[in-house]
Amino acid sequence: MARKDFVERSIRGALSFFKEAMFADETAGLPGVLQGLDPRVKIVTVLGCLLLVLFTRRLEILGFLYLLSLLLAVVSRIRLGFFLKRTWVFIPLFSLLIAFPAMFSFVSPGEPILSVGAVHITRRGLMAASFFIGRVITSVSLVVLLSMTTRHFDLLKALRFFGIPQMFVMILGMCYRYLYLFVEIVENTHRAIKSRVGSGIHHRKGQKVVAWNIAHLWMRSYTLNEQVYNAMVSRGFKGEPVTLDHFQTKPRDWVWLFTAVVVILLLGYAEHRISV
Amino acid sequence: MFECRDVHYAYQGRFPALCGIDMTIAKGQRIAFLGANGCGKSTLLSLLDGLVFPDKGAIRYGDRELTEAAFLDSGFSTGFRNNVGLVFQNPDVQLFCPTVREDIAFGPLQLGIDEATVKGRIASLAGTLGITHLLDRSPHQLSVGEKRKVSFATVLAIDPDVLLLDEPTAGLDPLTSTHLIEMLSTSAGSGKTIVTATHDLHIIEDIADTVYVFGQDRRMAGHGSPAEILADTALLQANNLIHRHSHHARDHRAMKTG
Repeated sequence: MARKDFVERSIRGALSFFKEAMFADETAGLPGVLQGLDPRVKIVTVLGCLLLVLFTRRLEILGFLYLLSLLLAVVSRIRLGFFLKRTWVFIPLFSLLIAFPAMFSFVSPGEPILSVGAVHITRRGLMAASFFIGRVITSVSLVVLLSMTTRHFDLLKALRFFGIPQMFVMILGMCYRYLYLFVEIVENTHRAIKSRVGSGIHHRKGQKVVAWNIAHLWMRSYTLNEQVYNAMVSRGFKGEPVTLDHFQTKPRDWVWLFTAVVVILLLGYAEHRISV
Repeated sequence: MFECRDVHYAYQGRFPALCGIDMTIAKGQRIAFLGANGCGKSTLLSLLDGLVFPDKGAIRYGDRELTEAAFLDSGFSTGFRNNVGLVFQNPDVQLFCPTVREDIAFGPLQLGIDEATVKGRIASLAGTLGITHLLDRSPHQLSVGEKRKVSFATVLAIDPDVLLLDEPTAGLDPLTSTHLIEMLSTSAGSGKTIVTATHDLHIIEDIADTVYVFGQDRRMAGHGSPAEILADTALLQANNLIHRHSHHARDHRAMKTG
């Protein structure tokens, strides 16, 4: 019974996290530094920083960029604990697991700096692991910062600026819109089943119920697909969507962009000087 | 404006929805389609909106028959979509854009209205309907009443001459229903033709001058003014719009009060 409760709590927790992570735009609505910037300017800034993260060979620059992302999170009114949880869970943790063996002499031979029994942690291995983790956590932090300070739909629309076709952006926008609906249907279906069969159900019966619900959800989405298309046609849709363009750059966007370009170039120059 | 002659429609060719509907809808009229669930009201609205076409019979809009070929004519199609707007029963079908602002703007933008005009209409409609604070929200964050208001706004933004409404007050509390009916009255007052499908007897006197009753056999069971239809309890009972137990309860209360 405890195991079943654990599974059910885990599923509910996962759905709740998914809804919160995907659909909560609360942080994007806060009066912070990044929230007030044009999404296109933010994307260009993050892309520039990501290129620097990708090509730098200095841990100091990686460290600086990571600390910068933390500072920007703070000035954008995002709770640091919440930000760290969002950025460190999953991808960086898995990266840590992947990079861990690389620290040891059997993967990265070289000058040992620490011995664990017969196995040595080498300087080369440690540097390689540090670079890998550093690049991952800095990239993830920058991207999560962008997504937390920009409404999801504004982020999608800003992709148009980078040549992504209008139709693609529209389809992604509609996917986002209806994914929430289907997550709610799944939650409600689970509650309805539980209210009728209680907590105990034979696993074979449970498999049939799950399979039926998958099929039913597919049918509902197919029916909804036709109805939504009719609603679009009813309002004049002819195949190529026309959407509002509500982005307007302000002087602070240009100041920010100029500053970001200068900082990135300075960091690049600093790396070059240190290397030389 | 609309003329339906012997209209038949069946889903997938084998599930009959309408079996011979004849009616005329004149400009400026307020019409209600009254009927129990599954009697074909929503189907007729879809036919009137040119989303599906009759298997048999014809629907004319002005001097043009509504067929698939007619809608291939870009000029006719744009003109029709400019003049006729349908508010779907399910707001999750009506509201398919990521934000309310985008949903309201969708219709007029597809019909070629310039962006400045569209933004003006959004601001004006949002103020009138009291939904300015919802413009940047996603539809999934709205309550049922808010979704219905926004659904209404998505069609009003096109400024059509004809409004087709499918169960506009379903799932609404009395106050929100009243607000919606007031908005319909305002639209009717400005000369729009309004066709409402409903099974809510309480609102038909407020929203219609003529009522068409649809029977379970998917044919027209009767028509008349709201007062005539509401007084014809035999017609309403035969078509599952009232129940004899509620009828008996009313009689019993009348007897007790003497």
